[in-house]
Amino acid sequence: MAQIEVRNLKYRYPDAKRLALDDVSCQIERGEFVGVIGRNGAGKSTFTQALLGLVPNFYHGAYGGSVTIDGQNVRESSVDELCRKVGLVFQNPFNQVTGSKLTVYEEIAFGLENFGVPPKEMRRRIDAAMELLDIAQYKDRAPFDLSGGQMQRMALAGIIVMEPEVIVMDEPTSQLDPQGSEDVFRAVDVLRAQGKTIVMVEHKIEKIAAYSDRVMLLDEGRLVAMDTPRAIFSRDDLAEHGVVAPTYTQICRQLGVRSADGLYPVTLEETRSLLGAGGRGGEVR
Amino acid sequence: MKSISLFEEKHSFLNGLSPETKLLYVVVAIAFPALVGGTVPQLAIMLLSIALLAGSKILTKSKPIIAVSGFVLLTVVIVQTFFRGGAYTELFRIGPLVARREGFDYSLGIVLNVFNIIFAFCVFVLATKPSDMMQSMVRRGISPRLGYVFVSLFQIIPQMTEHTSTITDAQRSRGMQTEGSLGTRVRAFLPLISPVIMSSFTDTRERSIALEVRGFNSHERKTFLDEFVPSSADRPVRIALLALLTLGVAFFVLRIVGVVSWPR
Amino acid sequence: MSSKREGSPWSLKLNTASLVLIPAAIGINYVGKLFASMLKLPLWLDSIGTCLSACMAGPVVGALSGFLTNVIYGLTMDPISTVYGLTQAGIGIAVGLMAWYGHMRKAPGILVAGLVAGLVAVCISTPLNMAFWGGSTGNVWGDAAFAAMGSQGFLASAVDEIIVDLPDKIVVLFITAGIYKVLPKSLISLYQAKDESLD
Repeated sequence: MAQIEVRNLKYRYPDAKRLALDDVSCQIERGEFVGVIGRNGAGKSTFTQALLGLVPNFYHGAYGGSVTIDGQNVRESSVDELCRKVGLVFQNPFNQVTGSKLTVYEEIAFGLENFGVPPKEMRRRIDAAMELLDIAQYKDRAPFDLSGGQMQRMALAGIIVMEPEVIVMDEPTSQLDPQGSEDVFRAVDVLRAQGKTIVMVEHKIEKIAAYSDRVMLLDEGRLVAMDTPRAIFSRDDLAEHGVVAPTYTQICRQLGVRSADGLYPVTLEETRSLLGAGGRGGEVR
Repeated sequence: MKSISLFEEKHSFLNGLSPETKLLYVVVAIAFPALVGGTVPQLAIMLLSIALLAGSKILTKSKPIIAVSGFVLLTVVIVQTFFRGGAYTELFRIGPLVARREGFDYSLGIVLNVFNIIFAFCVFVLATKPSDMMQSMVRRGISPRLGYVFVSLFQIIPQMTEHTSTITDAQRSRGMQTEGSLGTRVRAFLPLISPVIMSSFTDTRERSIALEVRGFNSHERKTFLDEFVPSSADRPVRIALLALLTLGVAFFVLRIVGVVSWPR
Repeated sequence: MSSKREGSPWSLKLNTASLVLIPAAIGINYVGKLFASMLKLPLWLDSIGTCLSACMAGPVVGALSGFLTNVIYGLTMDPISTVYGLTQAGIGIAVGLMAWYGHMRKAPGILVAGLVAGLVAVCISTPLNMAFWGGSTGNVWGDAAFAAMGSQGFLASAVDEIIVDLPDKIVVLFITAGIYKVLPKSLISLYQAKDESLD
């Protein structure tokens, strides 16, 4: 059985007329990296929040179908049970700061305190997480004094100390400067290497192409397709769904360069290997 | 971004006492003089508070607090001295206004009472870390969630007020008048406050989610990263305070019964 | 503003959204006071957050917002204002109940809510003013009336407080109702919506 199973998920926000999610079904395997793409209002954020049962337990509204994590139906579990298994990081780093702690170190401890983790164990996990995300140097700073990128990594640290198996990220870099984004993506690399299951909504399409094992394309609340990045970005109807393919894919499409299975490459490496080792790949940069 | 808490860690005698003990001090400081009566106990406790603050090197931090209440007290003295009704003894005159001894004495009582309360409060407020207050509350059975609300206030309020100057500048640059007739100024209020309200409510939704995904509603027994451990002086001080309170109550009862009286 | 709602207005089951509303409401109280003094308005306008939270999430959240506003003010600026937390809590409860029973939709209802909130404030504050400040409020207009009435007695003190509080609360409630009307529906639904099934 897949780690995450979504069956016929339907959801409508209170007071809304349109379904935010309309009959979405998919399976996500343990250790998989799934990118979620689609235009604004396609239902991407709603989908991520449904994985933790925030939809509908927090937002209320009309709900149908089911989401199960390791066989546990999220609708019948509380968010505080689920967040031990599934962590969520979202756009605005500022609003993820609890406001109740005076230092970064204490801030990261927030979730562990709520779960009654003994202080010694807390310190072990916090030290490890800070090391992993390269934020140990900020430990005594005031949480609100950090830059966006530092703050977002602190938020991520506050999630990973709870040791979830799945990490859901909803546009974690959309409000960060380029340097801050890079730092966050480096942290994502580390988590991916650790074998965490990751579901990430992201507009930086190159990143989605490079990281994802599979990509979900959503539009108007419906799952248009879920497939490998190459299959998704080789589709002819991307523009209709408000998505732009990675630059390498666009260039190769223009040049008519595709691999034997008829799909276009999505990353520099793929493009390079396709164009042959003759050094021509370098010019595509 | 800073906290509006007036607390400062000085590793002092007062810092070592538990929040409960310091709160008990406030209660005793207000209740004891009220039970015993007379101005001497009030004056004595006020001086004790000042000494405690000075000993912990935080007396100067009480200045802003004194200033806020001091201004109101000034108006009380004026209102009482010059306008208190009933028979009066004239102290002096300013034009048509007569300064009255009865009113003045009455207002001095108010001033002393308020200053006593303020200094006692400072012993608690200036020497107690908000998160330690929260730990005590939670240990005494108050919901950790309410405890969170309490502690977060110290940082979330300055965060909101910090935006006000930005908003004021922005609205002024769009030609909004913030000075002039009352009507003009009233009209300026809504455009100033609405952006604050809208953004803070939107933030509220996101912050709720951020808290929920970090086990905010967990039913586990909460632990603390830094457990507050009171100094060895805490117990004796608390016992002494309780003894003083008991003494005050006993004196009060005896006075009601008519066994003792306080020379006024 | 939705009309009379279901269930009890006194439900103590506070969800996260209601709890996090409290710091926001208190911040709004602070900012209201700040702007009112910056514009030199003759009103406090320091209970808009209390009233808004009471409308959105009921009298319990309103009362907590009001009470904690003064507690925090007491802990950071003015110790004696802590006891006036009772007044703000009373305002929160009054407004929460008025909104719950649907009296905050039209001008006459809002006016009545303002009067009720103002009177609740007067009833709680006056004894406190007498106990701590000999009956005055620290507001020029109110204290002028108090002085004119001999600077003593419950009546003079109550008049002092009425002059300060009644106009303030009426204005605050009209501001509250105006803002509440334009708040996004999706925000209010966090506090008031019910679930339904699509299966």
